[in-house]
Amino acid sequence: MVAASFEQLTGPGTVQRLAVSGPMTIAHIADVVEPLRAIAPTGSALVIDLAGIDSIDTTGAWIIHRLMATWSAAGVPATVENASEDAQRLITEVTSNDIEVALRPLAGNPVTARLSRIGAAVVAMSDNIGSFLGFLGQTMVVLLQTLAGRRPLRWNAVIHQCENIGVNALGIVGLLLFLVGIVVAQQGAVQLRAFGGEVFVVNLIGRSVMRELGILLTAIMVAGRSASAFAAQIGSMKLNQEVDALATIGMSPIEVLVVPRVLAMALMLLLLGFYGAVMAVIGGGLFCWLSLGIPPVTFVQRLQEVTPLSDMIIGLIKAPVFGIIIAMMGCFQGMQVSGNAESVGTRTTRAVVESIFVVIVLDAFFAVFFSALGYN
Amino acid sequence: MNALSPTLPDGDDIVIRVRGLVNRFGKQVIHDHLDLDVRRGEIIGIVGGSGSGKSVLMRAIIGLLTPAEGEIGIFGQDARNADAATAKELRRRWGVLFQEGALFSSLTVAENIEVPMREFLHLPEPLMAELAGYKIAMVGLPAEAGPKYPSELSGGMKKRAGLARALSLDPQLLFLDEPTSGLDPISAAAFDELIKVLKQTLGLTVFLITHDLDTLHAICDRVAVIGDKKVLAVGTIAELLLFDHPWVQEYFAGPRGRAARPGAPKAVEAA
Repeated sequence: MVAASFEQLTGPGTVQRLAVSGPMTIAHIADVVEPLRAIAPTGSALVIDLAGIDSIDTTGAWIIHRLMATWSAAGVPATVENASEDAQRLITEVTSNDIEVALRPLAGNPVTARLSRIGAAVVAMSDNIGSFLGFLGQTMVVLLQTLAGRRPLRWNAVIHQCENIGVNALGIVGLLLFLVGIVVAQQGAVQLRAFGGEVFVVNLIGRSVMRELGILLTAIMVAGRSASAFAAQIGSMKLNQEVDALATIGMSPIEVLVVPRVLAMALMLLLLGFYGAVMAVIGGGLFCWLSLGIPPVTFVQRLQEVTPLSDMIIGLIKAPVFGIIIAMMGCFQGMQVSGNAESVGTRTTRAVVESIFVVIVLDAFFAVFFSALGYN
Repeated sequence: MNALSPTLPDGDDIVIRVRGLVNRFGKQVIHDHLDLDVRRGEIIGIVGGSGSGKSVLMRAIIGLLTPAEGEIGIFGQDARNADAATAKELRRRWGVLFQEGALFSSLTVAENIEVPMREFLHLPEPLMAELAGYKIAMVGLPAEAGPKYPSELSGGMKKRAGLARALSLDPQLLFLDEPTSGLDPISAAAFDELIKVLKQTLGLTVFLITHDLDTLHAICDRVAVIGDKKVLAVGTIAELLLFDHPWVQEYFAGPRGRAARPGAPKAVEAA
């Protein structure tokens, strides 16, 4: 491949001459830029001879223009000669567009930059909490108005969401909890065997799954599946101005988009939580039968004796609360989308992470609360 | 071969040569043996009704879409059957401006312009920054636009930034997909002027898809009309005015077409 090159000559007197040759184009320029720029301006004048170049583009013209500008700034007037019509036109064009252009954001002092980032994050967080509370209030008002019959409830949307959230999740939730039931039984059996109390595995499965694990794991699974879907759906509708369109037609986006999702999620998480707990009990019972030799009939009898009804009720009371919070987190993050497609991704991630976090925090509160009420 | 034929005589210096192009999606045929020639150094405007396949033609030429049949030659090379290295080499020689600019949203304007340079060339970092700065100035973006992200730019600025990225490697051929759609008339006129100046100074060949009659009048050397799954006619607007086809007549001789003609009594008839 032919490369661009140049030759340095000393002309008559102290006039410096640079004879540039070869292709002065962006693909071939890399080799000559540094050496050309390394020449220190000397002599009384610089003449750049372009007779030898066989092609030139704006990059080549830019290099020559900058060379002339540097030498001129150092007090050595620079000119080109033997420039083709194209070369002359391009050099004129780049010269006219040589202005100071900002390229990188100003870095600033690292300490203050760090402090300002922390400050901005704190402000953004409190803003976020504030807007979530606002959203929560708005949704509650619309929800109550809907329940009071002052707004229409969109049954089609509710049913459609129920299918997406609940029916379509049956497989994955069932499998997950079934496996968790087996794991709890197996690990419990290993520990209890040391005390000769393998039969207490039934207590372990029944109480832990009904009260805590069944609903908690289901809620986490549903948060991963549906909170992300809500954020992404509503987020892309927001980007596409569909949410604005709803509002201008006179339909409340909260009523149309949020309330059906919240109601469907609350109902479906209740059902899915119960279904998940039952699947976990089935998994644990299967393990007890096959591995510990406890027949199903005995297992069920013992389950009835050791698991109070209150455990199941406590588990199921939590379900709609988790459901409402997961759906609201998903919808809220979707509504916060603005600007570009990237923000849909960020908001979706936040919807999942924050809803799982809040579910676990709430679960801890519930545990303390019900213990304090005397349900042990 | 009449004067408005989509193909040019063999002697001409042809940059894009399309022959017998067939594109179909499922059973829907978009192009049925379409021919088109584009001369070096001209601005060719591509017009046609919505859904007539203007963008599909562009996507087929730049290789984003594999046609069912036909030949596509660019710079005398067979673009359809080119091996990976040739295809990459060809890509370096053209720039594409998509409708909404298609800037990478996670990069700043300056970084967007540097992307093709980083991909294809080994240039020193300061030189890349210098060249990016020059391109920003060349397309008429304000000096402080470099560190901004695309989401902080207006529609017109996005298009200018997209154009700067398309021009990053000093291409000889430029594809523009509706460059003035969504711009106000003043910005649109300025963009037209910019393309005209760039074409003159850089010697570009420009493949321009547009609905904008003012753009067609202002900068296009020739106009190709797509309809009935083919290129119906190619010629100057004056020549196309004499072309007897209902859509072409409606397009150029209709009220908007008349209003856009240079020297037309603007808006008098509309009022």
